[in-house]
Amino acid sequence: MTQPSDSRVASSSANAAVTYVFAVCRSTRATSALDVTGVAGLPGGEAVRLLPSGLLTAVVQTVPAADFTDEVWQRRLSDREEIERYARAHHAVVSAVATHGPVVPLPLATLYHDDDRARSRLADEADRFHTALKRVAHHAEWGVKVYRPLAPEPGPAADAPPPEAAGGRAPGAGLAYLNRKRGAQARREKLREQALDVADSVDAELRGLAAASRRLRTHGAALSGDQRVHVLNATYLVADERAHEVGRLVAALGERTGAQIELSGPWVPYSFVGEV
Amino acid sequence: MTGPRVDLDSEQMGRDLVALVLTVVELLRQLMERQAIRRVEQGDLSDEQVEEIGTTLMLLDRRMKELCEQHGVRPEDLNLDLGPLGTLLPRN
Repeated sequence: MTQPSDSRVASSSANAAVTYVFAVCRSTRATSALDVTGVAGLPGGEAVRLLPSGLLTAVVQTVPAADFTDEVWQRRLSDREEIERYARAHHAVVSAVATHGPVVPLPLATLYHDDDRARSRLADEADRFHTALKRVAHHAEWGVKVYRPLAPEPGPAADAPPPEAAGGRAPGAGLAYLNRKRGAQARREKLREQALDVADSVDAELRGLAAASRRLRTHGAALSGDQRVHVLNATYLVADERAHEVGRLVAALGERTGAQIELSGPWVPYSFVGEV
Repeated sequence: MTGPRVDLDSEQMGRDLVALVLTVVELLRQLMERQAIRRVEQGDLSDEQVEEIGTTLMLLDRRMKELCEQHGVRPEDLNLDLGPLGTLLPRN
């Protein structure tokens, strides 16, 4: 979670207020007519509002500085429920704005000392914001997760020791054991290779449909308690007019490869706005 | 793991330690097993040697399972998530 320079507000006095920026969009007529008063924003902050600056408009909220000091934020980051509350609030604002046109979402906890600082950042980085806005206009992000095809059940002989081995030192038991392990190892290797092949071919097909794509780290089982093996975690920027193809392609790929493919979206293109 | 167990925390700590030790032992056992399989595949071992190694590994495997049962450690507990590197032991 990178935070811009102004996020270090620890020295501010307890009741000082700072400007939290959710997202940046173009200053169009649609934007200026945007009604954000109904959006809740972050807990403890004032009303969400628009902060126009030339051709760009930021969606901001005034929040108490004391809520966003380094210590408070560090503590929040390690509390899953709390961070979820903030992430959802952030996302709700971004999504509300995104229904009206292209938007560049900013990272969670992007703070400026005041409105002037936020405005000057818009001015300084106008080119990058415009590039990002152009890239994501009429596009949405789709997330794809592929899980390894379910392993075929190993035959009865595969793992259970054959009866003669049960005694321990029956002749040939040692060799039989090694052969069994060898078979299991070879099967595992093959499954792994197949899974990677599936991941690559799913990714390749979806890239054909997408304007841009990113492969993210696959996640281990620990976090979700999921026992399936996650082989592809990718996200695609897809033009709105091709959005209907995504679901069809994913279904077809799932059928062809036998892998479990999870599709999520459309999302505001968080992953494709670059380092803004 | 003997004596009266009153302190829940120290019991939990003891179990974690046992699981960790067993994980390390299991890692070494699997490494030996892989090495043995490689040697067998290279074909430079006599039949007697193969049999001997196989039996030893099999007994180790069995002993390992017994130890896990004794200490109430499930086989899937014998693993560590190394984040981007995956898991210490192959899963399944």
